[in-house]
Amino acid sequence: MRRLTRYGVIVAAGMIAAGCTAGSQSSSSPGSGSSNKAAGNSSLTISNEAGQLWSCGFNPLNPTFTMLSYGFVYEPLVYVNPLQQGKTTPMLASSYKWGAGNKTLTFTIRSGVKWSDGTPMTANDVAYTFNLIKKNSALDLTGAWSVLSSVTASGDTVTMNFSKVAVPYFYYIADQVPIVPEHVFSKISNPVTDPVKAPVGTGPFTMSKCTPQNITYKANPNYWQPGLPKVKTIQYPAYTSNNTANDDLANGSAQWGGQYIPGIKTFYTAKSPDFKYWFPPTVNVTLIPNLTDPQLKNVKVRQAISYAINRTQVSNTGESGYEPPANQTGIVTPTFSSSLNQSALSGWGNGYDPAKAKSLLAQAGYHMSGGVMTNAAGQKLAFTVNNIGDYSDWVASMQVIQQNLAAVGIKLTPHNLSNPDHVSDLNFGKFQLAFYDQQTFGPSAYYELNNWLNSANTAPVGKQAATNYERYSNPKTDALLDQYSTTTSASEQQSILNQIQQVMVNDVPIIPVIEAVDWFQYDTGTFSGWPTPGNSYAQPSPYAYPDNEQVLLRLTPK
Amino acid sequence: MAMPVSGVPTETPATQAPELGSARALGRIGRAVRLNRKATIGAVLLAIFILIALFPGVIAHDSPTQDAYAPQLGISTAHLLGTNHYGQDLFAQLVYGTRNVLIIAFVVGLATTTIAVLIGVAAAYLGGLADSSLNVVTDVLLVIPLFPLLIVIAAYAHGGTTLVLIAAITLTSWSYTARQLRSQALTLRNRDFLEAARVRGERPLYIILVELIPTMTSLLVAAFLTNALYAVLFASSLQFIGLGDPNTVSWGTTLYWAQNNAALQTGEPLWAIAPGFLIAALGAAFALLNYAFDEIGNPALRPVRKVRKKKGNEERAGK
Amino acid sequence: MRYALRRLGFFVVTLWIALTLNFLLPRLMPGNPALAMMSKFHGELSPKALNALEILFGVNTKESLLSQYFGYLHQILTGNFGTSLSQYPASVSSVIGSAIWWTLGLVGIATFLAFVLGTGLGIVSAWRRGSKLDSVVPPTFVIVSAIPYFWIAMVLVLIFGLTLHWFPSQGGYYVTTDTPGLNFTFFQDVLNHAILPAVSLLIATIGTWILIMRNTMITTLAEDYVRMARAKGLPNRRIMLDYAARNAILPNLTGFAMSLGFVVSGAILIEYVFNYPGVGYMLLQAVSSEDYPLMQGLFLLITVAVLFAILVADVLTALLDPRTRTAS
Repeated sequence: MRRLTRYGVIVAAGMIAAGCTAGSQSSSSPGSGSSNKAAGNSSLTISNEAGQLWSCGFNPLNPTFTMLSYGFVYEPLVYVNPLQQGKTTPMLASSYKWGAGNKTLTFTIRSGVKWSDGTPMTANDVAYTFNLIKKNSALDLTGAWSVLSSVTASGDTVTMNFSKVAVPYFYYIADQVPIVPEHVFSKISNPVTDPVKAPVGTGPFTMSKCTPQNITYKANPNYWQPGLPKVKTIQYPAYTSNNTANDDLANGSAQWGGQYIPGIKTFYTAKSPDFKYWFPPTVNVTLIPNLTDPQLKNVKVRQAISYAINRTQVSNTGESGYEPPANQTGIVTPTFSSSLNQSALSGWGNGYDPAKAKSLLAQAGYHMSGGVMTNAAGQKLAFTVNNIGDYSDWVASMQVIQQNLAAVGIKLTPHNLSNPDHVSDLNFGKFQLAFYDQQTFGPSAYYELNNWLNSANTAPVGKQAATNYERYSNPKTDALLDQYSTTTSASEQQSILNQIQQVMVNDVPIIPVIEAVDWFQYDTGTFSGWPTPGNSYAQPSPYAYPDNEQVLLRLTPK
Repeated sequence: MAMPVSGVPTETPATQAPELGSARALGRIGRAVRLNRKATIGAVLLAIFILIALFPGVIAHDSPTQDAYAPQLGISTAHLLGTNHYGQDLFAQLVYGTRNVLIIAFVVGLATTTIAVLIGVAAAYLGGLADSSLNVVTDVLLVIPLFPLLIVIAAYAHGGTTLVLIAAITLTSWSYTARQLRSQALTLRNRDFLEAARVRGERPLYIILVELIPTMTSLLVAAFLTNALYAVLFASSLQFIGLGDPNTVSWGTTLYWAQNNAALQTGEPLWAIAPGFLIAALGAAFALLNYAFDEIGNPALRPVRKVRKKKGNEERAGK
Repeated sequence: MRYALRRLGFFVVTLWIALTLNFLLPRLMPGNPALAMMSKFHGELSPKALNALEILFGVNTKESLLSQYFGYLHQILTGNFGTSLSQYPASVSSVIGSAIWWTLGLVGIATFLAFVLGTGLGIVSAWRRGSKLDSVVPPTFVIVSAIPYFWIAMVLVLIFGLTLHWFPSQGGYYVTTDTPGLNFTFFQDVLNHAILPAVSLLIATIGTWILIMRNTMITTLAEDYVRMARAKGLPNRRIMLDYAARNAILPNLTGFAMSLGFVVSGAILIEYVFNYPGVGYMLLQAVSSEDYPLMQGLFLLITVAVLFAILVADVLTALLDPRTRTAS
């Protein structure tokens, strides 16, 4: 089955228009008749398989449609770059300031910005957006209102008051909330379900034409940054099959890809010296132990599992080398390498050490019996591991992990489930081991680690946990995480992260195996200005919002 | 999925001579197979596959599942079909996969034929209301498109282990054979030897099992072969589209992995073509054997040999 | 007339059973599979749509099974198949509507060609029994008909699509450059994309036609009236076509109807290999995205289509062949 992209599946961009007569499929157009390849042409085609046709809805507050409108038509207050430790670029807000004790946040709204229908954009629109979300809790996908108490506009500033100090929420508030026009949305009766077919935004593009098969965006002539965007037209076809989307990249009819391409060298880069790819890592894909399991409770068993896995082999064989090996500190490298606690890492030693794994198991009282490690009480180290059957690369990775663990006497039996079943079992704690990653990402390692380790995010087995599936609970760790959320000082944040990494290495609450990545392919023959590892000015995937806007603003036709 | 030839009725039960006693019937079948060239080829092919399934370790020296080698190696003496994307030896995978495929084929073939016998013959023999109601069930299952039904069942079951596949296919594919057997049983119902048994006072169950069924031996063998063929095609197709268990070693699952890794487009065509070829070969073996049985059962279909000894051949081959 | 009514009655019964199967299956599976699917979409569906889905799958209802059943039947018979979950917020019927023309075109044309060519070849082969043609044709097509459909498709993709680049190997048409409509480039494009899938379907299905026709022809040729015609000295072609073929073809129609289920199955797999945007491809997409309402709707559609075709074939046979009317 097709590999589902992280954003593509959570933000399920389900679309179709009623009553269309022809099905949709783009396919390998052999370059002839495709106007995109002409030199100096400013039309960009995106290849991002969403698995369905477009329904031509553009309401950015509804996760079904966000991917197609946020970044193109709508903009955030401040752009926060997760790949550069949260470096900020002011967008609709020209500046911001934390108040005393970090309990208020004030944004100064940029003047001279117009909505695409000519109406001026003001601070009232910002306050309106946030209060609309407060009124319709189904729209509060970032959970901002769990920490906000009020949002008010006055002149050209917006003041946000916090009910509890939560500095990391800046990312969600400033970067992840699209600002919508009050004069349009106040007329909509149900802003949760209304598709908004004619979006009015401040962004660099307007939606010019939408059919179930393709969306066309055109440059916004009234965009507030003069001379931008240089890309004049965007085509966004609806692909329902991974192979077809990949074919269009391979023959050059699409230039910006967000695709998983098997055998990418033969399939794609070999076809032209201009075809390139970059997969920046974002979060860990981890082996999650259920800490209530009698044997997995033992930290030495968990340590042994961690040492027994050959992460390089998992990455090379299961993921074709696309997803790099992770490490036990939980810090995703190279994205957050500057936060690495080197001493914790070196204290952990070699990532892959089957001899050490065996000796740890011996210390825990296990001996080999019939190929499986058994202890004095007769308990065997044989576990089931839940996985998502549709993600064929995860299934392949699990096969490698299985082989690695078998070599030290631990027997794994994979249970391949559907996506919703897998998530449900994780939520309710119905598993021994499981393979999964966090679904949200932020500008520092804190975001992911907080999701995993904060006991506020967990619940007893049988009740629904939020993101802390392994049922880890340690008041000292909680205190550290809470402390992080109260400070804006970079050095204090780093010191806390160092301690948390030590917790990861000592307690082994979860076992990171590989690092999930953003999928990104690009054609340097048609456009320049793409993000690269040396110039990682934004998350590069077309489905990452609002980072896609940053990419679009920097692209120049060749 | 393909349309098996003998899956379509060549219903001329009247021309099928009743055979007396199963042992002699089997002996006659054996001889007929030897003499009919198509059947011989089919039988030999089938025998080869059975041998491979029984002794995979003798033929393939590598493990089918260990990602032990460098990926995407070409054909060589060390790796007869090269290695796949994960560094697994493709030849070993296919050899070990034979067992899963043949198990499915034989178990489903047997189970389906058994169910069909029970239902078809019972319907014919019991007649009346039982016959009509069984008939309706059979006919309904006959027209409902089976592959979409299997897809729906497998989808709700979130993909099936081999056992689930076997159960689902068995429960849905017996109807054609049941109909065939019922027709045959109907024509024989009033024959003298059955009447004699009835007069003797034998119970209906005894009559059905001991007197009636052995006379339909060649029909049963043909039915078994057809159902085995269906089973292979259905099961591989379900595994191919991802509704099987991706961790099993089987031809269909190898195809699934090949498709997932765009094997054709990334220069590893053998990965996709080889398992398909094996499915075709096994299918051909069943189909050839079946085709030959059709000829044995229906003399009108036998090849017309334009030689002087024509009449003698026909007499020897199974009268 | 009575025969047609009997067949119609059978059609209705089968339809009812298919509907009931559709109703029972999700409820029979351990742990209602629809439950997890619904919770995924709970916040996004309007209450009406949610209610419709609950009736379809029996989730969260406190009604008895029987009243659920009647509610379900009522919904289906009024044409409400629910909302598609993967193509939200489109209705299942509109999604199916967009895909159905592609499958009708592909399967219709390929099957028609297979029938015509196959039957013709079968007639000739039977007529020339004992010749070289006849000793080659049956075994070849016995083997061909046992080859899985998707393998034929893959081989064609490999050779004609990827190696020789004669035809596109994916999809229905080029989305970024063509707009669907009554224009020549669109038609040409559609045809171009349809050739490989159609040829796959043709190769896979033609064998059965040839062999059925051949077998029935052979049986017919042994009949007395054919011998009489030969004795009368009628020209060979006339006997072959007007006497033998005409009578032999009738049981074919029944065979055609019965094998329709296989044609549909094969079309599903071929659409999958070619990513051809038809009903079969959509069924597999629905399965992988757990879009159960869409999956159910497609299954019903396929079943009804097959049933309808069988009904038509049966009625045609009855009209053309008096023997069937009296026989049963």
